[in-house]
Amino acid sequence: MKKTKWTLMTGAASLGLLAACGGEGSGNSGSGDGDQITLDIFQGKVEFRDQFLEMAAQYEEENPNVQIEFGAVGGGSDYFTSLRSRFSSGDEPDVFSLAGPSELADYQDYAEDVTDLEATDTALAGTLDGITVDDRVYGIPFNQEGYGLIYNKQVFEEAGINPDDILSYEDLEEAVQTLDSQKEELGIEGVFALPGSEAWVMGNHLANVYLAPEFNNDVMEAYESDTVAFERSDEMQRMLDLQNEYSIQPVLNMDYSQQVEQYFSLGDAAMIQQGDWIYPTLQQMDPEFAEENVGVLPIPLEGEEGKVPVGVPNYWVINSNADEEVVEAAKDFFDWMYASEEGIEVVQEQLNFIPAHENFDPDNINSSLSRDIYEYSLEENTIGWIFLGYPTAWGDDFGAHTQEYLAGERDWEDVIEAGRQEWESSR
Amino acid sequence: MRNKDLTFWLFLTPVIIALGAVVVIPLLAGFFYSFTDWNGLTFNNFLGLDHYMRLLDDGRFLSSLWFTIQFSVVTVLLLNVFGLGLALLVTQKLKSSNLLRTIFFMPNLIGGLILGFIWQFIFISVFSDLGDLFGIAGLDGWLTTGTTGFWGLVILTTWQLAGYIMIIYIAYLQSIPEELLEAAKVDGANPFQRFRNVTFPLVAPAFTISMFLTLSTSFKIYDQNLALTDGGPFNSTEMVAMNIVYTAFSSNEMAYGQAKAVIFFIFVAVIAVSQVYYNKKKEVEM
Repeated sequence: MKKTKWTLMTGAASLGLLAACGGEGSGNSGSGDGDQITLDIFQGKVEFRDQFLEMAAQYEEENPNVQIEFGAVGGGSDYFTSLRSRFSSGDEPDVFSLAGPSELADYQDYAEDVTDLEATDTALAGTLDGITVDDRVYGIPFNQEGYGLIYNKQVFEEAGINPDDILSYEDLEEAVQTLDSQKEELGIEGVFALPGSEAWVMGNHLANVYLAPEFNNDVMEAYESDTVAFERSDEMQRMLDLQNEYSIQPVLNMDYSQQVEQYFSLGDAAMIQQGDWIYPTLQQMDPEFAEENVGVLPIPLEGEEGKVPVGVPNYWVINSNADEEVVEAAKDFFDWMYASEEGIEVVQEQLNFIPAHENFDPDNINSSLSRDIYEYSLEENTIGWIFLGYPTAWGDDFGAHTQEYLAGERDWEDVIEAGRQEWESSR
Repeated sequence: MRNKDLTFWLFLTPVIIALGAVVVIPLLAGFFYSFTDWNGLTFNNFLGLDHYMRLLDDGRFLSSLWFTIQFSVVTVLLLNVFGLGLALLVTQKLKSSNLLRTIFFMPNLIGGLILGFIWQFIFISVFSDLGDLFGIAGLDGWLTTGTTGFWGLVILTTWQLAGYIMIIYIAYLQSIPEELLEAAKVDGANPFQRFRNVTFPLVAPAFTISMFLTLSTSFKIYDQNLALTDGGPFNSTEMVAMNIVYTAFSSNEMAYGQAKAVIFFIFVAVIAVSQVYYNKKKEVEM
């Protein structure tokens, strides 16, 4: 009899445990005392996790009743996978990040309207376009990012090249040939390091430069377009060929970390096509090199010379399903972060990025690359980021086709044709 | 009925609940969702067999399936050859046999992701350095083509799992009675004949288990694939599991991915069951 009772209890206990695991546990249920609010933030930029945590700690100090829990998963699709599983399992974060209109469309039901926030009010012109539906804003821009050809100043100087003179494709080609002819003396292994195994470098970033004019630099126009004409495909081919021909080989198994850490930061490559997000990595390898020795060149585009693609990579979205008080706390937090004096100060100290909000002082930006790109952005020498308006996964697929081209298994015409068709069929 | 009293079922409850929650319910839910337009969060319509019809024209899925089949055939073969070979080696009366067993088993203790990255380094950097050193062009540019990617995956998987299969063979090899081998020896059988006619038939049950294990593992491989090649270059080394993940999570077609998973499940189940059935028939009783 006693035995049966014990089994019953064990059974009940294990049931209870299971129930506890399966329960809603969305992290905001509060921990006993009613005033404590836990903000569960989940986002896809693992690069600024540490700095963000420090910033959050500062906020917690000033607002003892708010506790910020921060989760980050790196790399576009991995983050999106985790986010989706968190939503479908009921473990919804209170704040999450989305990249643009097509992601917003999936999560529209969960996105809190933030049109009236101060942090949206002070956002720079154009930075809200990708997250606005019918004049309502559903997200707060993280920051801005830009990319181009990041070059090693010392190598350029030794080769006698003035980066300011490089505007057109012909200028660039000439500079590349000069560099290539002096490889030995300059101590470089190749002019470029093209990470062929990263489909997004070609499919998203490179293609964006040549597709943006077609959509008037407007991500929403790309998002709403049923077709892509690819008018400038020849220019893209030319640029890809140039990068491939003068790159450290073999390109097809080179990945991002090899490109940035192994080749560029150690001075083996003179130039790489990347963005200001590589700054923390460069800084870790060699702070002096990162600060003094890198600059950014625009990717040449006919008729649009001297422009750098700048855009908002991510938006903070508040989960409208969260408890009222949690939503309010999240709003307060972002107002503090982007629109209050002390918040801005902390953000500038901690995060190396190009601000997407007013009231930031460009001189206080920590990263040399971000400062350079911010300058382009102030002078409005920018190309839009329309790749966030591609059909879902189109960039990856197109990137894969360019890999086939690089491997010599597919003609360029064929690559472009496949790109056009896939765009149409997924719209 | 002794085993049907209350206590029996109570003891089983946790397992049944756990199994139901993580295996049975998801499986049934998966079947269900594959007939709808589920996007991971909500679904609105029943589509019937639409997803399954679409599969027939999905070139990328079919080529990943074909790649997986090729991969499985080669790895199953290699794994069993190496597994049995290693087992025979360490059951010889060698001084170092215990050490060797540990060493051969070791790769199996490392996670597939880490192994993938280690071998990526070997294939890309070490291979090309060796190639430059000895002037062997074939060692350059590994993982830049579908073929080298394929063999890279085969080598990685074989290296990782051979030790595990070895353990299974060891267990069976050690259970073979000495008398049988001795009797064969007295009858004048040479070592090869002894292996062919005595040892081999008696380890046949191990084949059943190992074949089943290797077949189902090599079909379902994901982490090694992800870490080593990530499907690249241009998706030529993408296996079915990875294709399913890509469809579901990158292309955001949850229900379509689910339909692929259902087909994949049936495929693996049929192959595994028929293989076990066939091998069982061939086993000898001692």
